[in-house]
Amino acid sequence: MSVVAHLPRRVLSLVEEEAPDPPSMNLTGRERMTVSDRTLAEQMFTEFRQDPRHHEFVLGCLNCGECTTGCPAARFYDFSPREMLQIAQTGDATTLWDAMQEKIWACCQCYTCNMRCRFGNDIAGIISVMRELSVRHGVEATRRTLSPFNRSLTLLMTVGTQVSSDMIQPDFFRDWGPFAAGSEQVWGVSAEVMRKAIPLDVLQTTTSSWEVSVQTSLELFRIYEQTGVLDMLRGLDPDLTEMLVDLIEERREEFTEARERYRTEIERMHGPVATFSG
Amino acid sequence: MLNATQIRQVIEERTERRHGTGKKVVDVREEMDRLEDQGELIVHRIRPENRPVEMKTLFGWTKRIPTNRLWHHKSCGQCGNIPGYPSSLLWVMNETGRSYLNEPHQTSCTAWNYHGTATSNPVALAAVAARNFHRAYETDNFPLIHCGTSFGDYKEMRKLLVENAEIRHKVRDVLRSMDRDLVLPEEIVHYSEWVQAMTPEIVARQKIAASGVVATVHEPCHYYKMVPEDAIYDDAVYQGQRPAVPTGILLALGATVADYSTWYDCCGFGFRHILSEREFSRSFANLRKIRPMVEEAHSDVAITSDTGCVTTLDKSQWIGKAHGQPYLLPVLSDIQFVALTMGAHPYKIAQLHWHAAPVDRLLDRLGIDWRTAKTEFLDYLRQLKSGGAPELLHPPREDIERFFAINKGQVLPDETRATPPPSPVPVPSAGRGGR
Repeated sequence: MSVVAHLPRRVLSLVEEEAPDPPSMNLTGRERMTVSDRTLAEQMFTEFRQDPRHHEFVLGCLNCGECTTGCPAARFYDFSPREMLQIAQTGDATTLWDAMQEKIWACCQCYTCNMRCRFGNDIAGIISVMRELSVRHGVEATRRTLSPFNRSLTLLMTVGTQVSSDMIQPDFFRDWGPFAAGSEQVWGVSAEVMRKAIPLDVLQTTTSSWEVSVQTSLELFRIYEQTGVLDMLRGLDPDLTEMLVDLIEERREEFTEARERYRTEIERMHGPVATFSG
Repeated sequence: MLNATQIRQVIEERTERRHGTGKKVVDVREEMDRLEDQGELIVHRIRPENRPVEMKTLFGWTKRIPTNRLWHHKSCGQCGNIPGYPSSLLWVMNETGRSYLNEPHQTSCTAWNYHGTATSNPVALAAVAARNFHRAYETDNFPLIHCGTSFGDYKEMRKLLVENAEIRHKVRDVLRSMDRDLVLPEEIVHYSEWVQAMTPEIVARQKIAASGVVATVHEPCHYYKMVPEDAIYDDAVYQGQRPAVPTGILLALGATVADYSTWYDCCGFGFRHILSEREFSRSFANLRKIRPMVEEAHSDVAITSDTGCVTTLDKSQWIGKAHGQPYLLPVLSDIQFVALTMGAHPYKIAQLHWHAAPVDRLLDRLGIDWRTAKTEFLDYLRQLKSGGAPELLHPPREDIERFFAINKGQVLPDETRATPPPSPVPVPSAGRGGR
């Protein structure tokens, strides 16, 4: 008996070509799949199965359901880590495509499923591989899902931290209440003064989690350039990527000017601080 | 009937082969040594001046926790919206005379972003980790990881760099393009492990009794569910069935740690969810964590040891009033709680004003005069507003450091700033009857 036969009817119907019943919910987007979607889905499926992590992360499945029992996302979404693992193990281009429309983004990445899995599957990891693919190929549903993240992505790519205190604006975080984030309305001073009251100098900024030196941020950007992250982001949002490249170009100019200004000090030093050119 | 030696053998075989595939969990540290001998990488060793303390991991392996000459690998979420988290840690280090370096030449691990948006890949994540590891190495300070997710990610990346030669060589090429080497620390150390290792010195300096407090612990998922073999356990904490941190320090300080049915659940952070799908985060946090902590365990405070967990459990509660869940349980990191019991200022050091759930009731229970402290803090804010100089825990960075990762070595000298242990812990001024 195939492992797939153990799956609920709704998932089974995605796997078999001739589904006896229609899906109970239209979470799959299957009807909307165009010819170009199918081509892309098949390309992604090939890449998915060829990714070396697939063989390392997917080891087998008893269908015991322990992963789903402990899954926080499974309590609130139509999501199951077991289903994701089954797709990784015995699915096809269509089931992978369907999962990419919504479900892969329900996962909390808490690794509870991994901890509970008798087979030692890395289920959170294989979901990340699916997510990476959907980002790299700019799947439309992924673009929509990640569209609120432009601000944090900008911060991450340019200074290497993901949040800043000026992101926690009352208008965007009303549900956090009036006392969150050292509120100006409660304490009667500006956000800048509230940050100055933190006894660590590098935290006394509102535009990043901590002040990151220009050299450090440029080293990070070099990593992004050389490891394909920038190209990956281009697939998701070309406009954002070009803006990031411009921002980093400005930082490089700033760094070059500083190198001239501090030339005497730098010439006395060794290692990356002496040789890094931006 | 098996004898004791045979039982031990069976247990060892089972623990090292955790799952049904029979795949053996290897100790990556042994392989690191071999790769170092081959010239593939450099191992950042823990040395006597790091004053290590030995702990046991899940499988009974020894893990050495350095307690001195530490490089602070800060957390972007802590520094962004829970700044009392790092400031409490550095304050406790000052009090206990431990030297460290806190500098602007560090990036985050970038793993919050990866787990939230997947806009990265293993080579990039490993290169970011290795870049920060090398930076710590060149300053001659051992990395201390503040964030649970960074801790989990760096454990994964160290394993990846050891086990996968192709990724290792790619990362090494990237590092060499910026004149850096591939350095892996002998141990990946989470700050809560430092707290556990420092327990005797912390307790010796305890000024405020915690015996009137009932605490519930949320165990951060990425501390012990990612690369589980690297988390520390202690027979004195739940008979070694749960991680030793942060429960161990709470027990040592005299607090009552109450159990609750959903201790194993995550907090609801979700990485992506906490920013763009908060209805999930707050529902999960309130229904699956805060409610059992209050209704089952009658907890005075929730204590955890990770960035996302403090954020989610704390910030998700205020809106609960709208759904008939008016719990408002204080949520602190273990190190904030430690600092408070050692006499830290609740606002200037523990920075409790950044928390969303009110902490006044907890401070009353600890016998801390928060009203006076609040007045002092408001005066301090007025001084800062008028251009006054801020009080700092260590000398500020130099101007050149805005641009360049210069190597200036240690910030604080060993021992010289340690405060002597106070006299025995006073009787609590507010017990359970003061509620």
